[in-house]
Amino acid sequence: MIDAAPPPEHSLPALYREHRGWLETWLRRRMGNAWDAADLSQDTFLRILASAQPLADIREPRAYLLTVGKRLLSNFHQRRSLEQAYLDALAQLPEQHVPSPEQRWLLLETLQALDELLDGLKAPVRKAFLWSQLEGLGYAEIGKRLGVCERSVKRYMAQAYEHCLLAEL
Amino acid sequence: MTSHSPETREALQAAARWLALVDSGAASEGDLQRLEQWRTSSTLHEHAWQKALLLRQRFSALPGALAMATLDRPDSGRRALLKQALGVAALLPAAWLASRELPLEAWAADMHTAVGERRQVLLSDGTFVQLNTDSAVDIDLGARRLTLLRGEVAVRLPGNLSLTLQVPYGQVALDAGEVCLRLVDQACRVSVLKGTANLQPRQGPALLLQAGQQASLQVAGVGPVTGLDAWPLGWREGVLRLEDRPLGELLHELRRYRPGVLRWAPELEALRVTGTFRLDDTDRVLALLAASLPLQVHTRTRYWVSLAAQENRA
Repeated sequence: MIDAAPPPEHSLPALYREHRGWLETWLRRRMGNAWDAADLSQDTFLRILASAQPLADIREPRAYLLTVGKRLLSNFHQRRSLEQAYLDALAQLPEQHVPSPEQRWLLLETLQALDELLDGLKAPVRKAFLWSQLEGLGYAEIGKRLGVCERSVKRYMAQAYEHCLLAEL
Repeated sequence: MTSHSPETREALQAAARWLALVDSGAASEGDLQRLEQWRTSSTLHEHAWQKALLLRQRFSALPGALAMATLDRPDSGRRALLKQALGVAALLPAAWLASRELPLEAWAADMHTAVGERRQVLLSDGTFVQLNTDSAVDIDLGARRLTLLRGEVAVRLPGNLSLTLQVPYGQVALDAGEVCLRLVDQACRVSVLKGTANLQPRQGPALLLQAGQQASLQVAGVGPVTGLDAWPLGWREGVLRLEDRPLGELLHELRRYRPGVLRWAPELEALRVTGTFRLDDTDRVLALLAASLPLQVHTRTRYWVSLAAQENRA
């Protein structure tokens, strides 16, 4: 397994030939179906194709593929759960408040982008931020709900803002 | 990422703190003056501040309730519990245990299928769950709840257990029995195979369904109760057995199991069909139909198949 010298061939086609099957198997085990796994495996290679990292720098192709693949897999599941939560929420809206089909898609895209932005925040931080931004709750009320003091809420808010702003860099 | 200087990051971090202070409503006159000074002392600061305001604007422009329900959806804790309930070994390879990437393992617990795929799983409490094509469920054994998110699910409960089955239009309470739930247009078709099930629409009175009955659960009530339409339920064994049914019914059903497009000439729908059809090879089903009925299969690609009435009929 230990291979000090980088393998001779480091082109994307070579990477694809050698590791695609392996990556797909890995993904299939986690996704439970072959179609999604094949899609995501394609996406992984496309992502690598588009990335700035020179292929020659990749010492351990499989570890690298997994890093990219895992990120995409996590995004995939996150998107799916978001879509579902969105559809559920839409279904519960009174008829007159349901947005037009076009608005629905736009909104879904916006929510996906924001969801990605918030990804990685700890649960109480995320809650505090959403309550403040979407429900307009004051820090005192948020603190009461979370069982923390107002100062902590302010810190949570700063953390959330910082997280989003840096994520957008 | 590397193209951004530490100064940029620091400015954004400071902007975040300032905005959190302003949002608190507790900023003093002195605070606001210091913010003003900070902003004017560098274009980097002012730029960071504007970005922070823009970020806040993006959230405040959203319809609150809808965005809240979507972004504040239940986190992975519930799913981790499910993983425990399912028995890790049953679903995940051993290597999985070594790598503790939380977001991934949390998600692995969801059960879903692609078009044409069927899956089944025996949960640790003895509940048997079968998932039909293009379906998804969320299982929370701790709360004794199974949520059907998409498609169709069959659930068989062992003797002493109950389970709540959640669908967008209401819920179905099941005690020691067997049901099949299928989401169709704006409704959920509930078929009771064994035991009884209590259908509770989101609005409107509940209704108790007996074994051998089916009904349609809608937001505003429960549709008419009829006897079981048995043949579509054959998916649980992977076969559809039809006796003298309109071909249209079978084709509509088959379409669910095939990725891509399946089309047919409308006049074919009235043809009568009898036979046993295996779902794991729908190409073969189509070939069988072509062999026994006056129709032709045109395969443009594997994913684009149309059926036409036979041309050279006398």
